[in-house]
Amino acid sequence: MAIEIATVSSSPAASNQQGIPPEVSKRETGKLSPVALIVLLTAALGLVTLVSLATGAVPISPRTIFAAMFGHEPLSEMQRLILFHLRLPRVLASGLVGSGLALSGLLFQGLFRNPIADPYVIGSSGGAIFGACIGISFFSQWSTFGFSATALLAFAGSAVTMALVYSLARSAGKTNVVTLLLAGFAISIMFTNSSYFFELFDKTGTGNRVLASWLHGVIGIPSWTQLAVSTALLALATVAALPLMRTLNTLVLGDEYAQQLGIRVESARVYIILIGSLMTAVAVSLGGMIMFAGLIVPHVARLLLGPDHVRLLPVAALAGAIFLMLADTLARTIFAPSEVPVGVLIAFVGGPFFLYLLRNMKRSYAV
Amino acid sequence: MSYLLRLDGVHFDYQGHKVLRQATVDLAEGSCNALIGLNGSGKTTLLRIAAGVLRPVSGSVTLRGRPMETIPLKEAARTIALVPQQLELPFAFTVQQVVEQGRTPYIGMLRGPGRSDRMAVDRALDLADVSGLRHRIFNELSGGERQRVKIALGLAQQPRLLLLDEPTQNLDIGRQVELIDLLHFLRDEGITILASIHDLHLVDKNFSTVLLLSPGQPLASGSPEQMLKPSILERAFQCPPDRHPLLIERAELYRREAR
Repeated sequence: MAIEIATVSSSPAASNQQGIPPEVSKRETGKLSPVALIVLLTAALGLVTLVSLATGAVPISPRTIFAAMFGHEPLSEMQRLILFHLRLPRVLASGLVGSGLALSGLLFQGLFRNPIADPYVIGSSGGAIFGACIGISFFSQWSTFGFSATALLAFAGSAVTMALVYSLARSAGKTNVVTLLLAGFAISIMFTNSSYFFELFDKTGTGNRVLASWLHGVIGIPSWTQLAVSTALLALATVAALPLMRTLNTLVLGDEYAQQLGIRVESARVYIILIGSLMTAVAVSLGGMIMFAGLIVPHVARLLLGPDHVRLLPVAALAGAIFLMLADTLARTIFAPSEVPVGVLIAFVGGPFFLYLLRNMKRSYAV
Repeated sequence: MSYLLRLDGVHFDYQGHKVLRQATVDLAEGSCNALIGLNGSGKTTLLRIAAGVLRPVSGSVTLRGRPMETIPLKEAARTIALVPQQLELPFAFTVQQVVEQGRTPYIGMLRGPGRSDRMAVDRALDLADVSGLRHRIFNELSGGERQRVKIALGLAQQPRLLLLDEPTQNLDIGRQVELIDLLHFLRDEGITILASIHDLHLVDKNFSTVLLLSPGQPLASGSPEQMLKPSILERAFQCPPDRHPLLIERAELYRREAR
């Protein structure tokens, strides 16, 4: 028989309530209503998409885009080409990359109980680089379902590296999180630097240029097939992550605590790593190495909404998409006609921003 | 007498070091048990084994006669709650969010907390006297406040067996008394309690059974009168009889009773 639900005053301790100052008791981490924030972010996403589509070397006003959408005023052939074959796929790809990185960052930070865990710290980036190097150097002409060999091998590299890191951290049927993070970090550095050898043996220099743009994080213009497959994979991973969000809240208490609360810790960990790796791989295959997004966006979401992963999932997905869309629009226009790799832009803008957040919001990162 | 939990000949090694040897414990339904012993004598290990989060090297653990390893995790979590010594959180969870985790064994993956879950959380917050802290950030609380929140988290599981690892740690004497009152209240509700306690003053009148872990000895158990004899404590805690006020006090007490 479980403890009966009794009236509040029946407890022996109830009579000893301490006088908590009202200004202290009202301090909460969740400052915004999640529903209001989701509505706000959805509207912002629509607006940012429109601005991103309108902005570029050949400006197309939002009014023109609206008029074309509702069939009032057809686009010129050139506008149609720019909008549907260049900008829209790239804008959508940047949204997918942003969502994928933010969601995987959210999952890994919660799983490893570590605010600095993100896809790049735990090694999936290094594996992706290694796979991409092989693709660029040996299979540059090959593609399937709209995915280049580079993208597919980056995906495979990410997944294989995560499996390797995970197996290194396993001991006596348990996973040591510190070992996992350190192993991931070491493998990430090793694989990232392996790109030097591929550059060394590239006689034509073509591979080097592709590799350089890939390493700096450039969102290309994907085919519609690649976009459709990427969207489906990210949606699948997000749906699979949904029921694990409550589990992540419990895992934050620690492995043993979670286990005694009825969580199958090892199974949950494997699922979350698989889902996070899939999200990372989708992002990496579309945009190469874009660091910081997976680190910054979940933190900003946490500052706005508190640490509850159930609430954070949709917010991180939307905020990540908005962040990358804005960053990529800036990256392709700020020094037009030249283009700055979005990964470089985010590193320069995101790094100081992240430090600013850390300095001003220490309370939320207390360990 | 019906036993809720039974540890039979439990043995546990950690990195070649014998932590528990031949520990046999019977916890009767509704009993209030204190676990005492030297630092490092295996109290925490015994509690973790009793909670099912650690498997013994040999020996058996049974919950209401069923082997612990055959009981689904969620079912065990609805019956046993372990309140550990330490809880560190990497993010700014509020007290309410922390205590809500106690409902994990009752909530499905796709279903959010229902009315009964919210009531159980409110009740646990109230019992542990932390209702007023529910919106505070856990990491910003004092050691004593955290201790009470951890107890609330355990109570939110609505367990039949509550295992507490040093529950009086970081509590001032007023809060210690409140905790003891809470344990009495829970015992009266039929909940079985096993708490590791360092302060032996608290053990004497408040627990029905004392379990004593001594290095190199099998676990001993008995009533407080039997187990808190100066001779037993001297040996178990490796403490000269004239060097600690408690031993001097207990020796005096036993002398008076003998007269």
